[in-house]
Amino acid sequence: MSWTLIQRHLNKLRWLVLSLVFSMLILLPFLHLYQTYAAAHAYDLLSPMEKTISDSMEWLTKPFIKDPATDLNQVKGTTWSATLFGVKVSDPLAVVGHVAADKQIYIPFLVTALIPIILTMVLGRVFCGWICPATLLYELNDNLAAWLRKAGLPVSRHKLDTRLKYLVLIMGIIISALSGITSFAAMYPPAIIGREIYYAIALSGFGAGMVFFLLTLLFDLMVTRRGFCRYVCPGGALYSLLGRFRLLRIKRDVTQCNDCAKCNVVCQFGLDPLRDDFSQECNNCTACIAVCPTDALSFTLNIKDQAFQGAGHMGHLHRKKESESE
Amino acid sequence: MKRRTFIQAMISVGTSSLLAENSRAEHNKVSLRFLRPPAALAEDEFLSRCIRCGKCGEVCPNRCIQYFDLENGLSSMDTPYIIPRDKGCILCMKCGEACPSGAIPPVAREMHTILDNVHMGKAVVNEELCLSFQGKTCGVCYRACPLQDVAIRVGRLEQPHVLKDCVGCGLCERACIQIPQAIRIIPDYERAKT
Repeated sequence: MSWTLIQRHLNKLRWLVLSLVFSMLILLPFLHLYQTYAAAHAYDLLSPMEKTISDSMEWLTKPFIKDPATDLNQVKGTTWSATLFGVKVSDPLAVVGHVAADKQIYIPFLVTALIPIILTMVLGRVFCGWICPATLLYELNDNLAAWLRKAGLPVSRHKLDTRLKYLVLIMGIIISALSGITSFAAMYPPAIIGREIYYAIALSGFGAGMVFFLLTLLFDLMVTRRGFCRYVCPGGALYSLLGRFRLLRIKRDVTQCNDCAKCNVVCQFGLDPLRDDFSQECNNCTACIAVCPTDALSFTLNIKDQAFQGAGHMGHLHRKKESESE
Repeated sequence: MKRRTFIQAMISVGTSSLLAENSRAEHNKVSLRFLRPPAALAEDEFLSRCIRCGKCGEVCPNRCIQYFDLENGLSSMDTPYIIPRDKGCILCMKCGEACPSGAIPPVAREMHTILDNVHMGKAVVNEELCLSFQGKTCGVCYRACPLQDVAIRVGRLEQPHVLKDCVGCGLCERACIQIPQAIRIIPDYERAKT
């Protein structure tokens, strides 16, 4: 199997990863419920619904664990802050907000963000494209927008300035510092999604955060394509800045490109792969690689984007120019 | 209606509703009696340290940790709390282990570390409601206490006497068989430990 072939299917792998992360966020609250049932030693007092949860979770976890009380504590939390086999991993945005709100640095917490920070500096906004639980919903939402557009509705056609999200990041830091509260927790979709799923399954139900998230979905659907991720998300802004000099980039092979512009259409972030313009906004989602009919797009290791290389050599523009020069 | 008047009206409605929300929250703060998880920092510091990840509730084996929505104001949104009458804290100290940001510092599950670091509040007995003080031997609160004879001791007719080492876990209030409960935790949000 060649590397090109693998890259062409990376987008499917990405969807698999996104769905896995999302289903983990749904599974973990159920596992927590199962833990509490096991800790209570009162199986006969559970309601039929709770018994179903307990039984199914027992069936799921039995091959892997001995004691649910301790062994299931190995994986806890959400993408905002998680414990994975004893290692705490937190979102860098959580650390930024925490430092701004608390005005002092708590070293153990800083350490938990190191792995994501290093990964972002090497791989760019890879969290946005491959892990973020909100991305899954936003991409499905974008598919819905595409259907509506096909049906003739004028949905999500506007363009804003991508620099808006850096403003949101700075405003968030200022608000956090003034109010002494990590304001990002209330406006960062992956944090909201993780929490709200937990509330809905293990506690009383969805909270106010869900209303905010539904509004962002509506914003994406009505105003601008993937608008929240591109223009508002403070986490996206932070990751863009961290990943500005990322190593892993997508590049266009100008000798293969036929100027079909499918990449520009499929790019939900509104980037311009056709003119070699990926910039710091690219989240390496590989959708353009998957759609490219001539395999002109591929991953490369380079800390800078290529400058515009002109029309693709397989395209009619280039051919026309060649024939004119002859 | 002109666009400007409309926008002005919308802004005034929005701000007034926000203000109303805040005043309601202030009012609630007096009547809403809740505990923070064990070993949590003093309230202001706790609010600025907590990143609202929800992990403390996710590791709580007793499911006593719940989360505020907007009922305690915007500043407390998504922060953990315990209502002792619903479910008390069993002092397993797992939330401190799970907390990534130090809002709930890790505390070992030992008698002396818990006594030193956990100040959720203090139990107060209402002698008019308490069965034992009314001559009907009860002693349920004493039996429910995880720190028997350290935090609470019983006298004649099992009459409970709360000692100064009470950490305020709320198991006595949960266990009290009187309605309304005769023993309550008075929260200590400043962690002053009186």
